[in-house]
Amino acid sequence: MARPRLATALAILLTILVGACSDGPGPSAGEVVAYTSVDQVYAEPVFRRFEEKTGIRVRAAFDTEETKSTGMLNRLIAEGNNPRADLFWSGDPVRPFVLIGRGLVAPYAPANAAAIPATFRDAQGRWTGTAARARALLINRERLRGHPMPTSVRDLADPQWKGEAAIANPLYGTTTMHAAALFATLGEDEASRFFEALKANDVRIAGSNGEVRRLVVAGEVTFGLTDTDDAYEAVKDGAPVAIVYPDRQGMGTLVMPTSVVLIRGGPNPEAARQLADFLVSPDAERMMAESAAHMPLHPGVTVPANVERVENIKAMQVDYGEVADTMNRIQPWLRQWVGLPAGRQ
Amino acid sequence: MASAVGRPSGRSPVTRSVTERTLIVGSASAILLAACVLPLLWPLIGLATGGRGVDLGLIADPALWSLLARTLVVTAAVLALALGIGLPMAVLVARTDVIGRGAVLVLHAFPALLPPLLPALGWFHLLGRQGLIGNEASTAILFSEAGVVLTLGLALAPIVTALTALALWNIDPSQEEAARVTAAPGRVATRILLPAARPAIALAGIVVAALALSEVGVPTFLRARTYAAAVFARLGGVDFAPAEALLLALPVLALTAMLLVAERWTAGGRSFATLGLRSFRKAPMALGPWRAPASLFCWLVAALSAAPVAALAWRAGWDGFAELPLWIGNGVSNSLLPAALAATVIAIVAIPVGHGLARRDRVTAGLDIVAFAAFVAPPALLGVGLVALWNRPETGWLYGSWLIIALGYVGRYAAIGVRAFAAACAQLPATIEDAARVFGVGYGSRLARIVVPLHARAFIGVWLLTLLFCLRDLETATLFYPPGQEPLPIRIFTLEANGPETVVAALACVQAALSAIAVALVLPLLGARAAR
Repeated sequence: MARPRLATALAILLTILVGACSDGPGPSAGEVVAYTSVDQVYAEPVFRRFEEKTGIRVRAAFDTEETKSTGMLNRLIAEGNNPRADLFWSGDPVRPFVLIGRGLVAPYAPANAAAIPATFRDAQGRWTGTAARARALLINRERLRGHPMPTSVRDLADPQWKGEAAIANPLYGTTTMHAAALFATLGEDEASRFFEALKANDVRIAGSNGEVRRLVVAGEVTFGLTDTDDAYEAVKDGAPVAIVYPDRQGMGTLVMPTSVVLIRGGPNPEAARQLADFLVSPDAERMMAESAAHMPLHPGVTVPANVERVENIKAMQVDYGEVADTMNRIQPWLRQWVGLPAGRQ
Repeated sequence: MASAVGRPSGRSPVTRSVTERTLIVGSASAILLAACVLPLLWPLIGLATGGRGVDLGLIADPALWSLLARTLVVTAAVLALALGIGLPMAVLVARTDVIGRGAVLVLHAFPALLPPLLPALGWFHLLGRQGLIGNEASTAILFSEAGVVLTLGLALAPIVTALTALALWNIDPSQEEAARVTAAPGRVATRILLPAARPAIALAGIVVAALALSEVGVPTFLRARTYAAAVFARLGGVDFAPAEALLLALPVLALTAMLLVAERWTAGGRSFATLGLRSFRKAPMALGPWRAPASLFCWLVAALSAAPVAALAWRAGWDGFAELPLWIGNGVSNSLLPAALAATVIAIVAIPVGHGLARRDRVTAGLDIVAFAAFVAPPALLGVGLVALWNRPETGWLYGSWLIIALGYVGRYAAIGVRAFAAACAQLPATIEDAARVFGVGYGSRLARIVVPLHARAFIGVWLLTLLFCLRDLETATLFYPPGQEPLPIRIFTLEANGPETVVAALACVQAALSAIAVALVLPLLGARAAR
């Protein structure tokens, strides 16, 4: 009695295993494997549109909110010896430099790259910027209680807002890049003083930019520093919030184009080039503007009324390569700042 | 049984038995080697073969040790709360006539079926400043270390309840019946039932401590700094340094070793007599005048446990559930297939390893330590090792399919299955197996014809328990899930980034329902086994 049952169980197990392996050793010629730290909710429709246009299937892997930008990046590094991905669509222009530094990038200038301003692409085609976000202050209007609206990132350290502001953990996501940009722009001394002042002002450290939005919307804090896409989601949900692009009168705010990078040795290079062409196209930028309030970098792309044009924002004057170097250099300091062991200097 | 004895063969029964044992335990070892040992040691191998160096000064940083001390205090508090809730709940639900104990158990178990960050979100919807019943005071408590303790304690207490209740259902009822002649229910519970369930309680304690120690999401969300965050910063941040992460994980692994020693000491070498199959159907203890307050306690705990899940359902609303078909994708099947396969492999591996562990065999004790190290180590560390080990052209068939997720689950949760089966085996004296061995029954036959049939319920329980752990897993597979094949918890947390909150809440409810359905389908099997 027991043996037939065992045989049945083994047969079922075998069927499952055969089914599991039917995906084959890797993607076929009609597929492209894309890793992305752009939010799944925005990236997936763009991939679907590409599939409709070309018939090429996109197999995508996405970052979770908590490891945004670095989870997929580290996966690409871990898989470096045998790349599984063809293309990385990064949520910012700095992470590609980590891949470039490790020799994981194949240069390619997408078909529409020439129309992108030179600041937002690499002259050697190692990364190309497309639909951009910026850093913004998200403010809960109901909690302002007569106080003037914060207009600068320095307001995060203003004692009148003690315990009333939030930023995301600067070890992860775009906040790391913003911290590095501040170090590069203000200089190490002033930037480190600013961060110490944030700590003294009891600024709340959230797990992610999405969590900053949640804290502001829920009235846990009065305002927070986050990304424009997170901020616009709060507006879309009808929350009593305002978005401020900080430091219009000063250093400006950080503009972060999403960036397309081809992976060296990826299994489907031709399909990857086609996907890169599509992602760096006015069509894809229009989709990102409509769904995610990303600012198009191509001139002439129409945007919804609530989306700023990139030329209307005062952008921080930064070199993304320098920001990437600074980001690597300040990691021990940032770890110490969040209360973790610093490690190597 | 006798039919297995003395079959003609060229080899002596003793030699045959040793060969069988070598084959069976060797196969289990190979699986654990592939899923636990090599991935965990990979950062060291990478280091030895020219990888980035390690800053040994890290380990001397006072900030590290103060963080560890702080984390241990939080972990101890979580463990105390989980045991304080779980033990009385287990006794009351498994052995007494509290009102509606089945429903109580189901409600109580809900938060344990979710990645802990989801109940934390549920509490936020309830107790946040603008939550359903929130105010300044409640939000101050929630966003503190006390909030972490309450959230994790309530989320992990059902593990204590479930493991202890399973053990209580297996205990020889004659001891309890004898005690009940003269002793009050409270005395029966503290003097007879709980001491007899010691191996299971020790297991539950160590599992809860390990989970609390390695949790990153909840403390980060609730603004508490923990040691796990320091390790994660070497894996999830810009400064990707797996070898340093392993170095930082060493104190946690050392602590785990101490916990294992403590657990061995607690469980002792003795066996725990059981008649097992009869006890499952035994009439519950009548609590008399204590029935009403005991029932009130159980329902209060159940309500507290279910509250965050109810808050998520409230947040989802009709709209969230209505939009589910648009967002859920293949999340359910992507979760179920690898979880079911991993649970099956773990349950099979648990038979020789768990049995050997219960019988104090040194080889299996070594395997148990290895499996436990993989359970306690930061999941991302195991993930990095699995990628390095299995992402090769010749193993692309595995790495490119959901089998790699199943392998990751086996690596992370084998310890749970092995330990649970060992706890069951420890409740059975070795005399029956010894008698069979005297009559020349080989190792394989003893496992197949004595150990497995006598512990069939434990085997099913191990399968279910590990299935539930795999289904709720978030961190293990994040680094290597095949593109387009993300399990449901990963889909929830990738959609959490600017996805509709109502849909994310609805998906969390689906996640809880998925596990609840698995429990509902498998529990009758346990009951049927008991009735046989």
